[in-house]
Amino acid sequence: MTEWVISLGGTKDVQLIIDGKRTDGRTLDELRAIRIEAGVIPEADGSSYIEWGNNKIVCGVYGPRECIPRHGASPYGATLKCRYMMSPFSSLEEHSRSGPSRRSNELSKVIREALENVLLLGKFPNTQIEIYIDVLQADGGTRTASLTAAAVALANAGIPMKDMVAAVAVGKASETLVVDLNKPEDNLGQSDMPIAMSHRDKNLLLVQMDGLLTKEEISRMLDMVEKSCDEIHEVQADALRRIYKTEQKEPFRW
Amino acid sequence: MEKRIILPGEKIAEGRINAANTFFDGKDTYATAIGTLDTTDRYMALESPYKPVVEDTVVGVITDVRHAGYEVDLNLPNSGFIPTRNVRITLQLGDFVLCKIKLVNEVGDVDLGEVRRLPIGKVLRYPPSKIPRLIGRKSSMIEVLKKYGNGDIMVGNNGYVWISEKNNMPIILKAIGMIKENAHRSGLTDEITNFLKHDGVGD
Amino acid sequence: MGDEVKDTIMAHIRRNVMEKTLVKGTRYDGRAFDEYRTVEIQTNVIKTAEGSAIAKIGETTVLAAIKFDVVTPFQDRPTQGVMITNAELLPMASPTFEPGPPGEKSIEAARVVDRAIRSAECIDLNSFFIEEGKVLGIYLDLYVLNHSGNYTDAATLAGTAALINTKMPRVENVKIIRGEYEGPLEMTSRPVTTSMIKVDKNYWLVDPMRDEENVAETVLTIGTTEKHVCAMQKGRGSLSKTELLDAIDIAFKRGNDLRKILKEVE
Repeated sequence: MTEWVISLGGTKDVQLIIDGKRTDGRTLDELRAIRIEAGVIPEADGSSYIEWGNNKIVCGVYGPRECIPRHGASPYGATLKCRYMMSPFSSLEEHSRSGPSRRSNELSKVIREALENVLLLGKFPNTQIEIYIDVLQADGGTRTASLTAAAVALANAGIPMKDMVAAVAVGKASETLVVDLNKPEDNLGQSDMPIAMSHRDKNLLLVQMDGLLTKEEISRMLDMVEKSCDEIHEVQADALRRIYKTEQKEPFRW
Repeated sequence: MEKRIILPGEKIAEGRINAANTFFDGKDTYATAIGTLDTTDRYMALESPYKPVVEDTVVGVITDVRHAGYEVDLNLPNSGFIPTRNVRITLQLGDFVLCKIKLVNEVGDVDLGEVRRLPIGKVLRYPPSKIPRLIGRKSSMIEVLKKYGNGDIMVGNNGYVWISEKNNMPIILKAIGMIKENAHRSGLTDEITNFLKHDGVGD
Repeated sequence: MGDEVKDTIMAHIRRNVMEKTLVKGTRYDGRAFDEYRTVEIQTNVIKTAEGSAIAKIGETTVLAAIKFDVVTPFQDRPTQGVMITNAELLPMASPTFEPGPPGEKSIEAARVVDRAIRSAECIDLNSFFIEEGKVLGIYLDLYVLNHSGNYTDAATLAGTAALINTKMPRVENVKIIRGEYEGPLEMTSRPVTTSMIKVDKNYWLVDPMRDEENVAETVLTIGTTEKHVCAMQKGRGSLSKTELLDAIDIAFKRGNDLRKILKEVE
């Protein structure tokens, strides 16, 4: 596990990259350690747990089931509902208020709109599919980790989907392009671009960006995303395959 | 028998083939659910929500008694309906029933017929995609369970399993749990027979 | 809502089956009446919290996390630290849990756990005094991650384990220095709760599964420390005096078993 980088001061000119190495010792295109487990919530129709660096996120899926309220149902297909939440103990700072915030509402929406593209919702008219994401421990990049976990939980639930989805953030810190930003790079870096990509046809399903970038930089960053998403996909695939392994499975540890 | 695990979005055949839980992108056919591909390239989904199909056998619970008929919980987004003309017997709230699906309309409402009331028992939720395994080839698995559990068991395609109270409940529930955990493995019927023989009630 | 309605209707008929199984002296999963499912505790799972633990009773899973903040004390207790307990029944944990503001079930769970821990006086809130008008606030967050019955006991167990696991934060100039600690939190006792139900007959079923909870006529939770009863909560139903006294005996016996498991994680 990578060490916590707790305080780096509050200024923008902190040196985040020294000799091609980042604050946590990674190279520029290196992902943090990712561990995914599928089927961790026996009561849910599908579920997953992801540890991505110091992020710990759990995700549960229900459905298709009766759409509530009834008038929210669509005859064209299932209504996808997504709730992303941060636990009040998820950051090293003070205890935050539980419940939805403006930020969590926005993230719920972009995660839902990313996944809607790959799910065959039309097969289940007048129903709803629910995705619940809870961030237990946060260290930068929770939206991409959440999306990655949600795709595994949906596959685990058997919700028909055209493709798997993986997500990662790329950004610029100390004038250098880096993959999978950690908290200090996210807070002190110059720009941040979380991207979700479908595995088979490499479509962009989530695109957000802040900071300043040139077109050339964005193009290079998208190439970096593609390579990283393939790596992430392997971890997702392994988690899903492991459930059906014939040998004795190791007991799951949180 | 070597089976490969397939993920959603993985190609399972060149060109178009007709199989459940797949989609065709205009050129090739892809899986839409996690499943297996056997040596003959036959794809089977391991997880998938149940879609009601006419003539399927389902187990349900009566949740409402109305003039026109009975409303039935089927473990589905929409509840099923038994029109009064399809039943001769009088049913009560909470009764377990075994029925056949007679009609499915475009919004997913289900009409039921050939109703049989089931005696007191326990109804269990079971993943619908793993139901075929619980029944077994030519009902082999379910026969084993019935034999060693000393009671009746009814399996609905909708994922409800009714277990008669005459059964040795702890043993049967454990065996069903084992079948669910290992649904993708071969040689399961023998394993379950063994378990029931040794840990269970014996012959 | 759908599943809630189904649960009550199913409960009506399930009770008959349940009783027949119980007459044979066993429960659906083969346990004895006063037996817990397998209990497992894992501590220090959340690094952003000062203390944390996950308790599993069978498949029921509850995460507890402890955070400290500098807060203003209550006016009537100006030198005492503040403890705030909150429980979240995550909608992912069960088909019957719904998203939205805390409902009566989660508020009850939080209050029962809070009462057990608070009245056990296992932590000295007076030691949380910093200066006039400033004390440490201790937040206990309980996250029910999977509900297969009896999340109350799992929540208390996780809460106590998280407190045992808690490191006191370093406080300088009325501010918490995050990531720096000053030794463990002092604990003088180990409160746990034992929940049990009655299904029509006069015996208690300890640690009910969801199936059993649904058909319960009487629901009772008793909190115990090594020597005392520290909390009681009756849910639905009624009971006689002897039944309550019997229940207290069971609660001490099973509570001591749970404390043994807590000992192992220290």
